[in-house]
Amino acid sequence: MIVVENLKKTFASGVTAIDALSLEVRGAEICALLGPNGAGKTTTIRVLTTLAGFDDGRVSVAGYNVDTEPARVRQAIGLVTQQTGVDFLLTGRENMTLQGRLHRLPKTRLAERIDRLSEYFQLADHLDQPVMHYSGGLRRRLDIATALIHEPKVLFLDEPTLGLDIHSRKMLWQLIDKLNREQQLTILLTTHYLEEAEHLAHRVAIMTAGKISVIDAPRTLIDSIGGQSLILTLEDGGTTMTTLQHALEGLPFVREQRFVGNELHVYVDNGAESVPKIVRAADELGITLKTLSLARPNLDDVFLKYTGQTLDSDNDQTEQPWWQQWAGKGSGTWQKKWADPAKSDDAHTSSWPPHDAAGENDSPQSWQQHHDRAGDRSSTPGQAPWPDSSRHDRPGKE
Amino acid sequence: MVSDIWWLFNKYVKLSLRTPLWSLFNLIQPLIWLLIFGQLFQSMAHLPGFPAASYFDFFIPGVLVMTVLFGSSWSGVSLLREISAGTIDKMLVAPVSRLAIVVSRLLHAAVQVVIQTSIILVIATLLGSAVNLSLTGVLPAMLIVFLLGLTFSAVSNGLAMLLQREEPLVVLGNLMTMPLLFFSSAMVPESLMPGWIQSLAALNPVNYAVTAIRSALGATPSLTEYAIGLAVTFGFTVAAVAWAFTSFNAQRE
Repeated sequence: MIVVENLKKTFASGVTAIDALSLEVRGAEICALLGPNGAGKTTTIRVLTTLAGFDDGRVSVAGYNVDTEPARVRQAIGLVTQQTGVDFLLTGRENMTLQGRLHRLPKTRLAERIDRLSEYFQLADHLDQPVMHYSGGLRRRLDIATALIHEPKVLFLDEPTLGLDIHSRKMLWQLIDKLNREQQLTILLTTHYLEEAEHLAHRVAIMTAGKISVIDAPRTLIDSIGGQSLILTLEDGGTTMTTLQHALEGLPFVREQRFVGNELHVYVDNGAESVPKIVRAADELGITLKTLSLARPNLDDVFLKYTGQTLDSDNDQTEQPWWQQWAGKGSGTWQKKWADPAKSDDAHTSSWPPHDAAGENDSPQSWQQHHDRAGDRSSTPGQAPWPDSSRHDRPGKE
Repeated sequence: MVSDIWWLFNKYVKLSLRTPLWSLFNLIQPLIWLLIFGQLFQSMAHLPGFPAASYFDFFIPGVLVMTVLFGSSWSGVSLLREISAGTIDKMLVAPVSRLAIVVSRLLHAAVQVVIQTSIILVIATLLGSAVNLSLTGVLPAMLIVFLLGLTFSAVSNGLAMLLQREEPLVVLGNLMTMPLLFFSSAMVPESLMPGWIQSLAALNPVNYAVTAIRSALGATPSLTEYAIGLAVTFGFTVAAVAWAFTSFNAQRE
């Protein structure tokens, strides 16, 4: 559905935004670009949505070349930007109507779409209120609904839950997940929230400095750094802790141990099986465990492994403060931020991309048909390994 | 294309209607000028060679042009706001022509100043001005107002894309307005200007617009004066709109 080959982009300032990026997103997949601020996630989205030009490489979305067929790409995609792309003085209905008009939907069809979308995104009660009275979560839902007015095949979400409270965030996750399952909508989202990537995405692409270092199912990525960690604390710390550590070193299933404060972190292949063995080992030494907990490595550990840095450090720093934006070297977030596709000068061969690309065959289907197909994605490779019922109830990290 | 312009224009009109006070605020400054300047310069009409019977009547076309300049030079600020709010992006990912985005904004600004100047005209009449309020006087005058509104909102939008920041845009907008008004016959008839200002006024398109409006609203309209004013203003409009579109289009990340 999305094919990016060797994409390169350097800003006029000489800063490399995207550095030889390749990515393939399959139809009906949720793919997350996970990375810190400044990793090039937003720029990548802007290139894929025809809003920005690029220097080199090939990009196709929904089977159309972004460079040579921008108008067709635009028909096939919906975009939700980081900023709220809805007008505050207009009502929800007016915002959706305008976007539908710009997509040239006939009047009856537009009314039908607004009804469906407002029901789906639970906007019906607020539809005729000006957006300035909306809460953050409601506004974001309207924003997504507006982007879906023309039934696109691919939805781009740039930091969809940035700045939202936990409740709104989880609600959005459910809606995004449902959209994907029921409408077979392909979704590419960017995020710097680990939990979001892990929770929503079938595959996560870890991105730093304009490059994707690794892309895979979140579970696979986490498993790749191995096993689980057991966190032990003892009734009496100090030397007994060292004794225990020496004893555990001899056990075959223990990969690595590390002291963190007064805790001992033991990395093992299989946590559940290791617990009784470790308890027994401690008993044999006459050491009393105070607490023992089992933790899974998370995407932050993966991030650390592949990029050598941790994401947590800048988790909630959403934007530059205003004085930096003003005093900035003219590279504020809204500066020179879109391209004129008509003036693109890259000469790509017209034979690319192949027009039988995934998803091209997907004729637009009604919502009802989509509902009937709900849940049949079990064969999709790389999908989230946990069953749906538990997906939104898994222990959070917040 | 036409329907894109219509729907976007529609949106901007709605936005204005939701903030009616803001549109009225734009009237305050020209009204103050009209009332105070009209009184202050009263005796100017007694000067030999003054072309009108009362200064108040003479000044009204100048106030109309002033309203246009004050009113439309803000248009670029809202473009920058829309860019940072992400609503322009929403338009750009829809299959809408960029020309439609620019033109709808300019049309909106121009229609807004036509309404504002009409209000000024009505108030001036209530205050006892003797301008020609027949359709043959007002319609040609409003045509100039409309074109001038397009022009200055285009200049403001073009500058907005060039400067990318609101503060310098506001400063530059104010900076531009004053000399354009002073170096025209908005406040002082050309015959009473010093020679060097007369030559500057001859190069100032706003001067031609003021002259054309004054001619249309005068008791004895001069077709030649109006035609020259219309031609100059129109040329100015075409150039400004083309420039605004080019600079909007030239933004490439």
